[in-house]
Amino acid sequence: MAALLLRHAGRHCLRSHLSPRLFIRNAVPLGTTAKEEMERFWNKNTGSNRPVSPHVTIYSWSLPMVMSICHRGTGMALSGGVSLFGVSALLLPGNFESYLEFVKSLCLGPAVIYTAKFALVFPLMYHTWNGIRHLMWDLGKGLRTAQLYQSGVAILVLTVLSSAALAAM
Amino acid sequence: MAAILRLSVLRGAQGSRGLFLQTPVVKPAHVSAFLQDRLSPGWCGAQHIHLSPSCHAGSKAASVHWTSERAVSVLLLGLLPAAYLNPCSAMDYSLAAALTLHSHWGLGQVVTDYVHGAVPQKAAKAGLLALSALTFAGLCYFNYHDVGICKAVAMLWKL
Repeated sequence: MAALLLRHAGRHCLRSHLSPRLFIRNAVPLGTTAKEEMERFWNKNTGSNRPVSPHVTIYSWSLPMVMSICHRGTGMALSGGVSLFGVSALLLPGNFESYLEFVKSLCLGPAVIYTAKFALVFPLMYHTWNGIRHLMWDLGKGLRTAQLYQSGVAILVLTVLSSAALAAM
Repeated sequence: MAAILRLSVLRGAQGSRGLFLQTPVVKPAHVSAFLQDRLSPGWCGAQHIHLSPSCHAGSKAASVHWTSERAVSVLLLGLLPAAYLNPCSAMDYSLAAALTLHSHWGLGQVVTDYVHGAVPQKAAKAGLLALSALTFAGLCYFNYHDVGICKAVAMLWKL
C-alpha cells in the first residue's frame, strides 16, 4: 500500500518534470510518443528483412477497397496533371492558344476528341463524386456495409453518366 | 484496503468527473496510473485509455489540419460549378489556390502513408512543398499572363 502511494507520488513528480507541456493532471506520458514508437518499429522492421505476408495478392478484393485505392489513384493523377500544367506554363514557350492551334492542326476526328475529353474528365468526376461520399462519411453518414456498396455503385454510375455528358459538351 | 485507498485518492484527484461514469471515457491521469498497475474487475467496462490530445494546448494542430482539409475540399467542390457559371479572374485565382492546396495536402497524406523513416519523409515532404509551390506559381503566372484557367478550359472544350 505504501508502495502504491510512493509509486503514485513518484509518477506525479516525474510527470511535471518530464514535460512542462503535459504538466497538470491530464496526461499519462508513457515515455514515448506515437511517432517515436513508429520510428522504432520501422527501423527494426526494415533492418530485419522479414518476409512480407501476402495481402493484396491473396485477399479477396471488395468494391470499397477498389474504390478507395482508385480515389487515391485519381487524386494523384489529377494532381500530377495540374502540376504538369502549372510547370508547363512556366517553362514552355508560347501561349496556350498556340498549343490549341497545334492540336487543331492535327485534324483529329470527333471520336478521338470525344475519347480524349472523356479520358480527361473521367478521373475528375470519379474523384469528385467519391470525394462527396468521403465527406458524407466524415459526417458519420452511410457507414454501414450495405450503404457502402450502394453508395459505391451509385457513384460509379454517376461517374460514367457525368463524364459522358461533360465530354459531349 | 487497497481499494479504499484507491477510491480516496481518486476522489481527491482533480478533474475526476470522468470517474463515476460506467462508459469508458477519457480518464484523468491518476486513474490511468492505477488502472495501468492493477486491472481491477471492480471497474466494470472501464479501460485504460490514453487521454485524447484535445486536453493539451500543443496537440490541436492535427485536428485543425483535418478540419481544414475538409473545408478546402468543400470549397473546391463549390468552386467547380461556380467557375462554370461565373468565369472571371477572381475565380481563376481561387481555383488555383484551392486546387494546389487540396492536392498538396492530399499528396502529403500519401507521403505519410508510404514513406517511412524520419529522414526520407522529411525529404519527400520538402520535395512536395517545392512542387506545390511551383505549381501554384505556374497557375498564377498562367492566370496573369495567359488566358486564365476558366477561359483555358472553355477554349480546350471548344476543340
